[in-house]
Amino acid sequence: MDKMMFLLSEGVKNLWRHKLTAFTAIFSTFLTLSVAGSLMIVGQNTNKIIEYLRGKYKIEVFFKENVSDKQIASVVEEFNKINGVRSTTLISKADAGKIFKSQFGENILDIIGYNPLPASCVVNVVKFQSDKMNIMPIVERIKSYPEVDEVQYQGRLIYRIETYYQKFVQIMTVLLILILIISVFIISNTVRLTIIAKKELIQALQLIGATRSFVKAPFVIEGVFHGLIGAILASAFLIVGLEIGSGITDSIIKLKIQYSPFVLIGILSFLSVLISFLGSSRAISRFLK
Amino acid sequence: MIRLDNASYSYTKGSGVSNINLTIGDDEFAFIIGPTGSGKTTLLRMVYMDLLPQVGKVVVDEFDSKKIKSRKIPFLRRKIGMVFQDYHLLDDRNLFDNIALSLHVLGCAKDEIVDRVTESLEEVGLDGKEDRYPEELSGGEQQRACIARALVKDPDIILADEPTGNLDPVTSFEFIKLLEEVNREGTTIIMASHDYNLIKGRGHRIIEIQDGSVRQS
Repeated sequence: MDKMMFLLSEGVKNLWRHKLTAFTAIFSTFLTLSVAGSLMIVGQNTNKIIEYLRGKYKIEVFFKENVSDKQIASVVEEFNKINGVRSTTLISKADAGKIFKSQFGENILDIIGYNPLPASCVVNVVKFQSDKMNIMPIVERIKSYPEVDEVQYQGRLIYRIETYYQKFVQIMTVLLILILIISVFIISNTVRLTIIAKKELIQALQLIGATRSFVKAPFVIEGVFHGLIGAILASAFLIVGLEIGSGITDSIIKLKIQYSPFVLIGILSFLSVLISFLGSSRAISRFLK
Repeated sequence: MIRLDNASYSYTKGSGVSNINLTIGDDEFAFIIGPTGSGKTTLLRMVYMDLLPQVGKVVVDEFDSKKIKSRKIPFLRRKIGMVFQDYHLLDDRNLFDNIALSLHVLGCAKDEIVDRVTESLEEVGLDGKEDRYPEELSGGEQQRACIARALVKDPDIILADEPTGNLDPVTSFEFIKLLEEVNREGTTIIMASHDYNLIKGRGHRIIEIQDGSVRQS
């Protein structure tokens, strides 16, 4: 316990002893996390837009004239089992007549003496999907039923939106990984400066019988503190920025930026601890080799 | 017990030691004497396994250089106190913290650390100077602080590498007397020096080393 307290206090004291290094490490963590946090918020909000658009996707299926209501109901049941289908709404011939009346104000039977409107079905697709959504397999499956006369869908538009979204997600992921790797190297090199400055301490510790982990611990703890301070600053910066930004977008285009401050702080803290732990461990391990 | 069996180590740029055969018993006080560059430091570094012999072996109690794993070396060093010519005290902490460092490494409790540091400072005559920083101490005081740092962990062996190199003759003489006191309490002392006048006539074993080989033991 006393050993742990000693290592912890050494880590904290080092923050003060190595002010310049601490500033550099905290500032680089702050920048990294601010960029990473911004990318995550943009990604999250873009995903919300995609989910909204997916919610609007629908496939309209028109049935042949000679198909009975019972057959239609059974085919619609089959549609519900297709992978990627969220729900279906059956519109019988009678329902179609009612819709006609509500839209045009007249009963179609009164106009032409019979109901020519076909029974149809609206197929809604799933909203939440991590990868690119392709509705073509669903359309092809629906078309394969002999009871189906015609299928209408926003195929090309949906495909284009999904393609752009997928590219966007890929670029964001690569960017995020790159930023994190770069920050590990920046922190590692910054900590190396501290280690070079503390060469005497390391040698003294090794001579008096300190194990590798005992020598490493204060530097790693110091690195983790750098990361956490960087994360607090980046979280505060992003939250203030997002609140201001959300106010502006809300007043202009009625769009509020979606994010959870607690999730943001949690993710940034986790990332900061991870990158600073990796960075400082790498630096001290290389020195002790 | 310390035993070197046909131990050799040579640096890439030359020099080192060759074929050292030596046994130093428990409680012994041995001087290693020889000119600068003769291999005294190399020999000591082999004892605390900072250098592992390329040929032969070094055995310190249960630690054998042929078999030891690098993660076990710290446990050997916990039994050895080291004193160097240039002190190796840390400038960023006071005397108390410099000496307490060894005990933190051993995982001692806070109260025990206070007691043992105070005791070892008294032993070397530096009591009351706990709060001083190394730069505020004279050369002799710094070297005594090094002895306190070595003693605080109650070592079986003290290795002193040219410890009087930066001290005046009177302080050097007092320093040797201090080491003799420590030796009387049962600690093995090996002290390397090039100053024969300082060590002659003290009744201790003298190991003479020249060009990396033991000439007389």
